[in-house]
Amino acid sequence: MRGLGFLGRVAAFSGMMMAAAVPAHAQAIKLWTLNFANDSANQAFQSIIKQFETANPGMTVQVETRGVDEHKAALRVAAGSDQGPDIFFSWAGLGLGGEFVKSGLALPMDKYYAQYKWDDEFLPAADIFSKQYAGGRYGVPYSFHGEALYYNKALFAKAGITSEPKTYADLLADADKLAAAGIPAITFGGTVNWHVMRLLDEILETQCGAEKHDALMTMQASWASEPCATKSFTEFHNWSSKYFLKPFMGIGQDQSFNLFLAGRAGMMLEGDWLVGQLKQNNKLADYGLFLFPTGGSRLYGFSEYNYISSKSKNPDVAAKFLDFLASKDVQQAHLGDFGSISINKNVKYTSTEPLDQEWVKIFNEVNGTFVNGDQAFPLDVTTEYWRIINEVASDNLDPSKAAAELQKFIGNRK
Amino acid sequence: MSALAHPFRPAGANKIDPVLVMLWILLIAVAALWIAPFIFIVFTSLKSNAMVMGTGAFAPPSEADWGNYSRAWARGKFSTTVLNSAIITIIKVPLGLAISAMAAYALSRIQMVGRRIAFLAIVFGTMIPFQVMLAPLFTLVNSLGLINTYVGIILPYLAFGVPYQVFILHGFFRDVPKELSEAALIDGASHFTTFRRIFLPISLPVLAALLILDFVATWNEFAMALVILQDNSKWTLPLGLMSFQSQFSNDYGQLNSAIVMTVLPATIVYLIFQRYFISGLTSGAVKE
Amino acid sequence: MQLSRRLQSPPFQGAMLLAPALIVYGVFALYPLIDVFGLSFMKWNGLTPTRTFVGLDNYVQVFNNDPVFWGALRNTILWTIMSVAFPPLIGFGLALGLNQNIPGRAPLRALYYMPVIIAPIAVATMWRWMYDPFFGLFNQMLAGVGLQSVIKDWLGDRNVALFSVFIAYVWQTVGFSMVLFLAGLQSVSQTLVEASRIDGAGRFGVFRYVTLPALKPTITIVVILSLINSLKAFEIVYGMTGGGPAQSTQMLAMWAYTEAMQLGDFGRGSAISVVLLLITLAVVIPYLRWSLRRQDANQ
Repeated sequence: MRGLGFLGRVAAFSGMMMAAAVPAHAQAIKLWTLNFANDSANQAFQSIIKQFETANPGMTVQVETRGVDEHKAALRVAAGSDQGPDIFFSWAGLGLGGEFVKSGLALPMDKYYAQYKWDDEFLPAADIFSKQYAGGRYGVPYSFHGEALYYNKALFAKAGITSEPKTYADLLADADKLAAAGIPAITFGGTVNWHVMRLLDEILETQCGAEKHDALMTMQASWASEPCATKSFTEFHNWSSKYFLKPFMGIGQDQSFNLFLAGRAGMMLEGDWLVGQLKQNNKLADYGLFLFPTGGSRLYGFSEYNYISSKSKNPDVAAKFLDFLASKDVQQAHLGDFGSISINKNVKYTSTEPLDQEWVKIFNEVNGTFVNGDQAFPLDVTTEYWRIINEVASDNLDPSKAAAELQKFIGNRK
Repeated sequence: MSALAHPFRPAGANKIDPVLVMLWILLIAVAALWIAPFIFIVFTSLKSNAMVMGTGAFAPPSEADWGNYSRAWARGKFSTTVLNSAIITIIKVPLGLAISAMAAYALSRIQMVGRRIAFLAIVFGTMIPFQVMLAPLFTLVNSLGLINTYVGIILPYLAFGVPYQVFILHGFFRDVPKELSEAALIDGASHFTTFRRIFLPISLPVLAALLILDFVATWNEFAMALVILQDNSKWTLPLGLMSFQSQFSNDYGQLNSAIVMTVLPATIVYLIFQRYFISGLTSGAVKE
Repeated sequence: MQLSRRLQSPPFQGAMLLAPALIVYGVFALYPLIDVFGLSFMKWNGLTPTRTFVGLDNYVQVFNNDPVFWGALRNTILWTIMSVAFPPLIGFGLALGLNQNIPGRAPLRALYYMPVIIAPIAVATMWRWMYDPFFGLFNQMLAGVGLQSVIKDWLGDRNVALFSVFIAYVWQTVGFSMVLFLAGLQSVSQTLVEASRIDGAGRFGVFRYVTLPALKPTITIVVILSLINSLKAFEIVYGMTGGGPAQSTQMLAMWAYTEAMQLGDFGRGSAISVVLLLITLAVVIPYLRWSLRRQDANQ
């Protein structure tokens, strides 16, 4: 029986391991979000949670953060298990966020919108996404972001550029001036596919206009038969071959930011969050920004949302926390930590930093938005979109054939 | 020993062989190539970003910035990932070796129906890349409700550790002289006792080698952990490192500190137990 | 009494000893292996509870309409061929060198083997940093010796990216082959070597007619193990390029993972896994038969 004793020990051992799984706290909620862009955002979030927990004894909020790709994969996994979060971050709109709503993973929030009177709080440009879905309202705005071209003032001056470009032709002329002065016009990091993509998104808006661009991104118009799509890829290739700081395919976005800080390139296409990062590096005064001159009036930007999971056992606690997070006082106190603008429309902007003021001005004048390609497309099309963009950027695919190649993939989807 | 006293001389010769000297220089050159990455990583881990961008790759850090290590430790949540890796490894490795040894004994020393089939099925597993099964493995563990748990990762680790260990131990047990075990069995001892009293003690060197190899393999495993441990409070060291790279790859000093801290435990174990690695590998693959 | 007799019967005891390993192996290794075939005939996104049977549809899609699959297959085959050729060859060379009477053999051997024990993901991170186009080791060294023209975007240029990853892989795996060869060399009969030397055979003659034939089984094993390990290449690619640029370093194992776990198409992901599995089996089954025959012959 000694042998069985040995087996018994093995069994007891695994029993012990099973018992190690701890039951969840009754009023505890788990929130999954992206890695914070900088440490001050991280600390701000932690202090908001502490405040909430102090104000609501017995309720606890646990935050887990991940990189973009890991977050997407983890959500997918959570969908199939009951290990998931109560609140999850995703982008607003029909693409990335819409997929989870469509699969029944997000909880309809009509009740909470009424209870907390959120429509009186949220910025309409951010709020509008929650109404796009069939069968109710989903998600709560967390942030609203715009993207623009930041430029190195000294390098622009060195290249003899005296004013910010107003048209796409101006922008090209400035890029040429920078090139003539031996300065790479713009820096991108190619390993993260979404960075280079931003340029094509902007060019598509420029070449196609709002309506056609939307039709392309919702895949209702054919990329193959819209000449503006092919024209965009050709323009894009013109940029990647003449104006990019090289090499770019082997570095990431954060490395390209390092290079931008080090004055190795004239411009960078980034969101309002870059202001915070420039501030951290004490370089605010050296940079300016202007919107990519698409010729239209829409802002290149997007809203980020927090959704309550349909599997949450404490949706009321989750909603209470989201309300707290979005409330005017919290937003006012942490203005600038998560972006230049708050999703709460009652927040007052007092920053005297020129770049902050510029963003507030931009956001006040917003007249519609167009979102990043990876938020508009379903995941598999995004993967192909990135592949084609990278093929064109690395001179491996004739830009005149790129749009047709994308359409071929879209046409073959089931 | 006498050979070492007279290097560069082929056996039986008493003149230094120039070919051997050339060969030796070549081997030293390869060794320099092999060690260069380590030096580069350690140097970078002690530099500030400005120093990384400003000094040469092999320039030693003029002023060692040990702070990189503590900052990377905090940012990379190393206290969590080290603990998880340690818990998983400490449970998995002995447990896995125990069940493998038991199975190998049964398969090599006990006459049973279906013994050959069972052995074949298990050995088959040494050849299959488990990477092809990540999705169904995830589905399975998920359906058992074990995603993000230690049990959920340890069970597949056990399963994929069994084949190689059984294969090696089977070969070893098979060659144990019959007289040794039969005497015990005739004395009325059960197979359990024979296994424990006779086979385990004589196979200690092999078990030690397998233990070390499995420690390193478990410590380093990434792909399965990637699909099963989605919750970053359960992440192991390799997952933490990957996440660190995707977040802070522009903090060159800290990134390299994180690499050093990830690699160090396995390296230390290797340097201490070096000979077991070699014997663990060779006892199975190249016996004759 | 009867019952306890049966409980003590050798087959029962054997079954008890075998059971834990067999059960855990069956459930967590064999079952997923079978399940991957089943999933490959299903349409399933990993989110919904229902899976729909779609026959060969996933295979048709993968073969006809997947712009990445064929490139990944080509890369996998190329990678496998390179993995079977280079690390064993270099490992063999090092083993031959270390088998001579030279000083410092033990530390050299330890050093060559060291990368083997490092986590592949850490190797990927290390090398990614060394390949950094601006501040990495390689480009700094090339610039240092005035070879600016050779400077490359090692992981960003699709013409070299796969080979850059492979070099890191060589660095990591050469030690493995080397150790196996060293063990094989030690088993080469010294008497035979002496005898042939006395017969007047030169260095090359001894190598050609004594060492090499004696190493035949070792060579087979090293080649097979290298081949199997190469099919597992996942982490190093995942960590270094993520399959990029533009999917040019994508491999079957990782593309299967991406389709299933990241794009949420478990059916297609599994179909790709099945393709890789069949390739593996085509190599493994003949090897298993060969080694079983050899084992039987030895007994």
